[in-house]
Amino acid sequence: MLTGTADLSSLVARLAPPTIPAWDHEPVELRGVDCLQLVAELRRPAREVTLPRGLHPTEPPALIIQAWKVDESVWGPFSICFTRLSCRSGVRARGFTTACVSDNDVAGDQLATRWGFPNREGGVRLRTHYDACELEVTVDGRPILTIAGIDPQALSTGSLQYTASLNLAETPNGLRLVQVEAAHDAERVQRVGGRITSFDAASWGDNRLEPYHVVATTLARDRTVRLAPIRFACLPEISAFEGTEVIETNRGNHE
Amino acid sequence: MAEYTVYANALEQCRLADELGFDFVWAVEHHFLEEYSHCSAPEVFLTAVAAQTKRIRVGHGAVVCVPEMNHPIRIAERAAALDLISGGRLEFGTARSSTWTELGGFGADPDHTKKSWDEFVRVIPKMWTQDCVEWQGHSFTMPERDVIPKPLQQPHPPMWVTVTSPGTELDAAERGLGSLGVAAVSYDEQERRTTDYHRVIKNCEPVGAVVNDRVHTMNFMYCHEDYRVASRVGLPMVATFNTLNAHLYWTREAHATDAYPSLGNLGQSLRLAANADDPSAAKGLPEGLGIGDPDHLVAVIRRWEAIGVDGINFVLNAGEVVSQEDVLGSLRLFASEVIPKFRSRESAASRVDAPTTLPEGIDPC
Repeated sequence: MLTGTADLSSLVARLAPPTIPAWDHEPVELRGVDCLQLVAELRRPAREVTLPRGLHPTEPPALIIQAWKVDESVWGPFSICFTRLSCRSGVRARGFTTACVSDNDVAGDQLATRWGFPNREGGVRLRTHYDACELEVTVDGRPILTIAGIDPQALSTGSLQYTASLNLAETPNGLRLVQVEAAHDAERVQRVGGRITSFDAASWGDNRLEPYHVVATTLARDRTVRLAPIRFACLPEISAFEGTEVIETNRGNHE
Repeated sequence: MAEYTVYANALEQCRLADELGFDFVWAVEHHFLEEYSHCSAPEVFLTAVAAQTKRIRVGHGAVVCVPEMNHPIRIAERAAALDLISGGRLEFGTARSSTWTELGGFGADPDHTKKSWDEFVRVIPKMWTQDCVEWQGHSFTMPERDVIPKPLQQPHPPMWVTVTSPGTELDAAERGLGSLGVAAVSYDEQERRTTDYHRVIKNCEPVGAVVNDRVHTMNFMYCHEDYRVASRVGLPMVATFNTLNAHLYWTREAHATDAYPSLGNLGQSLRLAANADDPSAAKGLPEGLGIGDPDHLVAVIRRWEAIGVDGINFVLNAGEVVSQEDVLGSLRLFASEVIPKFRSRESAASRVDAPTTLPEGIDPC
């Protein structure tokens, strides 16, 4: 059975996992969110070596790039972009987060310390038009990702299904993969013809990441995105069947 | 384990199943799935099975009706040839694939697979039954031609469609196709699907010249005199299959589309929780599992039979976790202790279901 082969200490050095000092019990609701997601196949050499041993790669390996432009939140408006590797935790479809950039340091800090996003401060600009959309992510003024999407085509809101994220973080339980469950209430979903016009792999967690074949790109307008408190945390080097911990205080705190 | 050995084991299982009185052997069609199901040329495998057996029916479970993978003319030709070589034992299942691994590998558009499937199941029976076929459709176009050879079974082999997502059983019924379940569901869910299927098929507009109104489900089978041994050997096979199945890269996950409502083959009871629940929860074992001693299997099969299931297609192994010796032993025990409990209630002459005839008033295609 295919499993990740990444050395954990190397992974920690590369991803710089944030610290979650205490398990939080409060959800957060983001309002008026434009959500761009681009899924691209990765070259085969990146398949197992980029994942911790507790996770399983998909075949083919794929990179999921997501950007949110949030109109309203308790932290004010902000934009965020994060990359994830498609994978399985046990039998569940998940995305292992490799990097994250946000343009609001308060939001970024909260997302890091409550949900384990490996956030860095930078510029995230998601612009949507009737005929196209563009995403540009910069760090220290240097572009590290640009995406162009054209010709939006409407889909039903039920056609899009996001996978939950697994973020590597230092937690009260130790170094864990924390499962981030984001509930999107979409009012509009479109498929766009997306392409990655620039991608700095090292800035997104691993210089072996080479997204070469775009599978699909969607642009959704969500009334709300609700981030639930963390309910599950997994040991990164053990199968989820044995290595999953329930955060008891959040067990029933969902939806 | 070397692929040669896996294929040799499978053929041996088919030969034994034929001798023991099993009714069907089914072969899937999958491409590029490293960990799971290296059965990318089922027509070749089934031809070998047909050549090495005498009475067991050989089933495509199923041919992928996506033009980038299989041209409908070639499907019709290969199936007819297989029906001839097998002496009229072909069961013809149809499908449209559901993984991005496969569809993406062939450059197929997931949005179009439902359309191409619906087109193929209408045109292929015409190719089997008409001397001159012309077609202008969404997936392909052909001028007048006689597609040859013609199948041995008249008017043509029974046709099926694989059923994973809820609702596909209604697609089957509306078209007069057999319902070939390939995802584990609960007794209650299967009863609902079977009831709806039989209600709808009564007024079907058949795509072929014959209606196939049978319902088959998928199950796992390991039979041993000792229930505890059966569990110890058989349950890892189920877990292996379910885990490897869950690791496939499903179309809906990669490519937002209305054409694939389900995220994978997870059973109905688990589908809703697929994304937001305890990741340590092993995929729940399906109800009515064919793992156990003969008495247990008889009870399980009787329950399935009582809710209207006409046949059960058993997965015998996954990842070769069960030894070939144990698989063959299980087949022998099942044949000697379980089959007679059901076969004794039928006449030997009608042991294998034959396609039903066309309803009155319906012209053949």
